[in-house]
Amino acid sequence: MASTDQQPKSQQKLILTTSDDHDIEVDRDVAERSILIKNLLDDFGPDAEIDKIPIPNVNEAVMKKVIEWCTHHRGDPPASQDDDTDNRKKSTDIDEWDQKFMQVDQEMLFEIILAANYLDIKALLDVGCKTVANMIKGKSPEEIRKTFNIQNDFTPEEEDQIRRENEWAEDR
Amino acid sequence: MSRARRVQRDASRTRSDTSASTSPDRGVDLDDDKDSFMSQDNDSQSSLSPSLTPDSEQETLRRAFEERSRVSPISRLPAELMIAIFSKLSSPIDLRNCMLVSKDWAHNSVALLWHRPHTGNWECVRNVISTVSNPNSYFDYSSLVKRLNLSNLGSQVNDGTLQPLSGCKRVERLTLTGCTRLTDLSLTAMLQGNRRLLALDVSNVGSITDRTMYALAENAVRLQGLNITKCDKISDGALEAVARNCKQIKRLKLNGCEQLTDRAIIAFARNCRYLLEVDLFACSNLEDESVTSLITEGPHLRELRLARCTRITDQAFLRLPPDTTYESLRILDLTDCGELQDAGVQKIVTAAPRLRNLVLAKCRRITDRAVLAITRLGKNLHFLHLGHCVNITDFGLNMLIKACNRIRYIDLACCTELTDNSVTQLATLPKLKRIGLVKCSNITDRTIQALARPKQLGPGGPVTATVLERVHLSYCTNLTLGGIYTLLRHCPKLTHLSLTGVHAFLRDDLLEFIRPAPEEFNEHQREVFCVFSGAGVVRLRQYLLNNPPGMVPRLGFGTGDNPNDAATTMYDDGEEPEMIDVTVQANTMAIDEAWEDVGGDNHEGEVD
Repeated sequence: MASTDQQPKSQQKLILTTSDDHDIEVDRDVAERSILIKNLLDDFGPDAEIDKIPIPNVNEAVMKKVIEWCTHHRGDPPASQDDDTDNRKKSTDIDEWDQKFMQVDQEMLFEIILAANYLDIKALLDVGCKTVANMIKGKSPEEIRKTFNIQNDFTPEEEDQIRRENEWAEDR
Repeated sequence: MSRARRVQRDASRTRSDTSASTSPDRGVDLDDDKDSFMSQDNDSQSSLSPSLTPDSEQETLRRAFEERSRVSPISRLPAELMIAIFSKLSSPIDLRNCMLVSKDWAHNSVALLWHRPHTGNWECVRNVISTVSNPNSYFDYSSLVKRLNLSNLGSQVNDGTLQPLSGCKRVERLTLTGCTRLTDLSLTAMLQGNRRLLALDVSNVGSITDRTMYALAENAVRLQGLNITKCDKISDGALEAVARNCKQIKRLKLNGCEQLTDRAIIAFARNCRYLLEVDLFACSNLEDESVTSLITEGPHLRELRLARCTRITDQAFLRLPPDTTYESLRILDLTDCGELQDAGVQKIVTAAPRLRNLVLAKCRRITDRAVLAITRLGKNLHFLHLGHCVNITDFGLNMLIKACNRIRYIDLACCTELTDNSVTQLATLPKLKRIGLVKCSNITDRTIQALARPKQLGPGGPVTATVLERVHLSYCTNLTLGGIYTLLRHCPKLTHLSLTGVHAFLRDDLLEFIRPAPEEFNEHQREVFCVFSGAGVVRLRQYLLNNPPGMVPRLGFGTGDNPNDAATTMYDDGEEPEMIDVTVQANTMAIDEAWEDVGGDNHEGEVD
């Protein structure tokens, strides 16, 4: 509990300094969707005067997207241990707002995933992974390569061998 | 081995394999899988630490990576994130397609695909077998298989099927339910050298013997679950060895192993301190000491099923130490433990005050004294089965209902002493979802009307429809169409209604909505069979709403919500008209009005 002369967390401000040296002001409770930042603040204790936090792995453009997501989800209940249950993991359902949010070019999409991983924002990482999984679903290997611009480094023999060894996976 | 090395070389070539698959498993894994075949040569450190590599070479590598990322942004993602993405793919064909994209992708998806290979039909099994037994396969697939389940093929599986899979030494869950032709030969081969097995299910694999159990004891030091249902060749001695060596066992199912005695069970109780669930259905040679040991020795024991352990007496519980309680015990099933009497039940309730499910069906000797003891479970009790406890009377049931108002499921089948005077009170249980009253032949429509009545939550609180889902009323021969009509109208969540042998329902127009009788039923059983479930309930309800039984006009007033009122007088040909108590009918009307206020969607479909 914050003491009376302290502002509630939602009104406290923090400044995040991005890898390209931009300062972004953000509400503390929004920033604390990141477990990395939350743990950092917790480690310093409630009385520490922290106003600037360097985020050396994330640039301004990506950080702004991440903050946009965190702001929209600021009221979500904190992720619990139970979220790791199998059925949730498997589903690739994404809520509508998140779907729109993830409509970005591939470069940004993967940067968001990397940032979510680095900043330890589990729910955002999850949405990111689901988005990519949905881009893979139902596509042939060649279509997947095209989608992500990937070089096929198998020889035709290797490809054929893997196909034979995994034939059971084609079963419906 | 050379195969594994080749894989590592491939893996170390590219950045996206850096932390290569230290955790290629799906989901939470109990396994701290440190020696996964791809991780031994983990080069993640070397690529980050200031190694001896000349700067220029590092610079070249960095540039190559940058260039690759520019062309294909996804290659920025390290292996663990690629695995996180692949783990969202649920269909094997998607994962297979990922394997064919590139070498990187193959390395990061293969473990997910092979975690649990499809073995539901012969074609798949044949392919899986030929792949894992091929020494020149592209990957070392056999080391990736964590779950193997051949139960779909059941009796078609023989030792020749399982033997070639015995190279899979990292299988954690082996499920062979009903593979009746398997013998020790393939099972011992399968178990030999596997130190990772967590769960073994060989239920109904009746020919396996102690040899398999000794192999299990020797190897499966991490075993947590064992199901040997109906394996009647396994002896106490072999199970003692399992109990001594597999101390992590949490779940134990020995159903129908009539050959076992207290020796085996006591060994499990004393050695396996983490026992959570024990099912000893029809282990008819067990005596009281097994039960006492399981309860006193197992601090975590949550579920104990002793149905048809017919030798068990009150002593099993009376011997529990005084003043000690077993707070973990939530579920106790004593079905058909016919020796059990009131004193045993009294001790059970004192010793296990947090019991949630208590099954005393066919414990025919218990009386209202036992029921009074059960009332001490209070709000903890959710599930109670007292079927065939014929001595129970209205007095006991009324006390129970007052004390245990969180009951969700109650079965009172064949409690023939019970009458409307207590059974109507079941209606006051706000969470009651399932109710079994089969052959409670005294009950009448009064009980049904009470059950159908919407509930007021607290004095002055909102009135809501009942949450009843499943109602079993077979052979309640006093029931009439009118009562059931009310039940259907007012229980929007009803999904199961059994009325077998209730004369008023043996009518062709109603029987149209029943589900088919089970195949093993004889002609007479088919004649009286009358069970509505799922869509059948919905259709019956609709039919009765359109063709209501004739009670309403007969009593001189309509409910006002039925456009077919006028038609109803024409309806009840040949059917004994229902004699509905006018006060009950008045109640029903008050209910209808209250529902208008609630305005829920639930009943809208019902009224029109």
